[in-house]
Amino acid sequence: MDAPSESTELALTAHGLGRAFEDRWAVRGVSLAVHRGEVVGLLGPNGAGKTTTVRMLTALIRPTEGTAMVAGFDVHKDPESVRTRVGILTETPGLYEKLSATANLDFFGRLYGLSAEVRAERIERYLRLFSLWDRRDDLAATFSKGMKQKLAIARALLHDPSVVFLDEPTAALDPEAAFIVREAIETLRKAGRTIVLATHNLDEADRLCDRIAFIRGGLLRIDSPAALRGALGGHGLSVRLRDTASSEQLGAVRGLKGVRTAEMADGLLQVGAAEPETVAPDVVRALVASGADIVEVRAEQASLERVYFEIMGVTPGADSLEDRV
Amino acid sequence: MRRSIVWTVLQREWFETVRNRLLMSTILIPPILLTVAPILLTAAVGASQLPPELEQQVLAQRPEWASFTPGELAGAFAVQQFLVFFLLMPAYIPLSIATFSIIGEKQARSLEPVLATPIRTQELLAGKAVAALVPGLLAGWVTYAIFVALASLTYGPALFGVVTDPSWLAGVFLLGPAVGLSSVVAGVIVSARVNDPRVAQQIGGVVIVPVIALVLLQATGTLLVGAVGYTLLAIIVLVISFIGLRIGVRLFDREAILTRWR
Repeated sequence: MDAPSESTELALTAHGLGRAFEDRWAVRGVSLAVHRGEVVGLLGPNGAGKTTTVRMLTALIRPTEGTAMVAGFDVHKDPESVRTRVGILTETPGLYEKLSATANLDFFGRLYGLSAEVRAERIERYLRLFSLWDRRDDLAATFSKGMKQKLAIARALLHDPSVVFLDEPTAALDPEAAFIVREAIETLRKAGRTIVLATHNLDEADRLCDRIAFIRGGLLRIDSPAALRGALGGHGLSVRLRDTASSEQLGAVRGLKGVRTAEMADGLLQVGAAEPETVAPDVVRALVASGADIVEVRAEQASLERVYFEIMGVTPGADSLEDRV
Repeated sequence: MRRSIVWTVLQREWFETVRNRLLMSTILIPPILLTVAPILLTAAVGASQLPPELEQQVLAQRPEWASFTPGELAGAFAVQQFLVFFLLMPAYIPLSIATFSIIGEKQARSLEPVLATPIRTQELLAGKAVAALVPGLLAGWVTYAIFVALASLTYGPALFGVVTDPSWLAGVFLLGPAVGLSSVVAGVIVSARVNDPRVAQQIGGVVIVPVIALVLLQATGTLLVGAVGYTLLAIIVLVISFIGLRIGVRLFDREAILTRWR
């Protein structure tokens, strides 16, 4: 087993990663770096290559081209070490239905080589964390979809992985079950886990991810949700003042770092900024300092849905995404 | 190959097998029938004699039976037919367990999480194969031991000698495991391509055809296979099984399971 390499700050790096099935490329040219403790979303339509990317990064399938280091190990050269250090929630929970929750986790703990004491301690810890401890002796077959998904997440965490991959964790779940699972992911996020979340749920990606990678046959773009919205333009702060802003007040705002434009339109001061919520306090301070009376300040951003369509090059309703993939 | 991982897989397989009522009934009921039926049949024919032509044919192939009384000869001939049934257990039980196990995992989509662990596919295959093979072999051997005990208690030393002669021992302890292995291999190969355990068992049941042929040859007195014959058959079946096993290992590749199994 090789020693871990690359920066210890990076949980994962990929350079030009691609996978072809026979003569068809499922995904190609994926290059990204994920820092420790970061939550990165892989966003794209069905068939975009998200699952293939996750499978390459978890050393489940070999890349046709490119390289990737996960938890310091090369997916090509040392796939077993990669698999030891990552946890994955697959598209379907894939539990052993005739086994209890405890037996399911114990089986996987043994495959990861955990001792009996460690298994017992972690099984209790994660079943309690996901509120399944009272049902620990019940067969997985008796669980609801949301409970099964939580048990599968517990299974992915059992060996204390460096990186957790969640592939469509809320797909096919009803709103209540999806809520339960999102709460579980939020818990992991707060605990500082490095998570790669493959999803086509925009709201989920927006709420849970530090950065979002748009994938469709390749990596189209990766950035924070705020920066992605900012890059589209047509967003910023909308400030309602008691009186029209003076040229001095406009100048004070325009001179702030992060502000692109500032002008009066329809009785409102429109401030253009890539990250409106970041510049808002400075804008308010500058206006108050220059004597303006502020009535209301509202951040206006492009919706992630609009960003999605823009980056994917899709006009909603023009044709089906499936046809394009 | 790490034995602890193979053992972990094997234990889980057996745990699920004993909870599958349908599978357990197919494993347990036939051995009980196969133990009782030969004894009852031998009792039925024991008082009668073989037709003169068949008697000559049998004695030509088994000269060591020349000292038997006509009743013992008829009983020995009748009981000899049942050796092949003890080969059916290692043939169909591993096939049933292997197909239920692999196709069950395909349907539940539980293989991907397992393959995402550091397990090697040979370890997974070995665990599944041994978990399928051992119950078939044990069923065959335990049933045989009960059969021998009942036969010797009921019919005395002549038939005890028949059911424990080298041909029976070679059949049960050499050809049986070889047939069991071929059954597991057939189960793995067919299960990789089929999504219904019953369909897989029907296709994989092709491994039972040679055993049935053996039944017919013995029943008509055309060929009473001896120890050497069973040993040779065991070697042939083992060679074929190992060739099949190489195909099975290729089909059980991590990538193949994830990308080609449907």
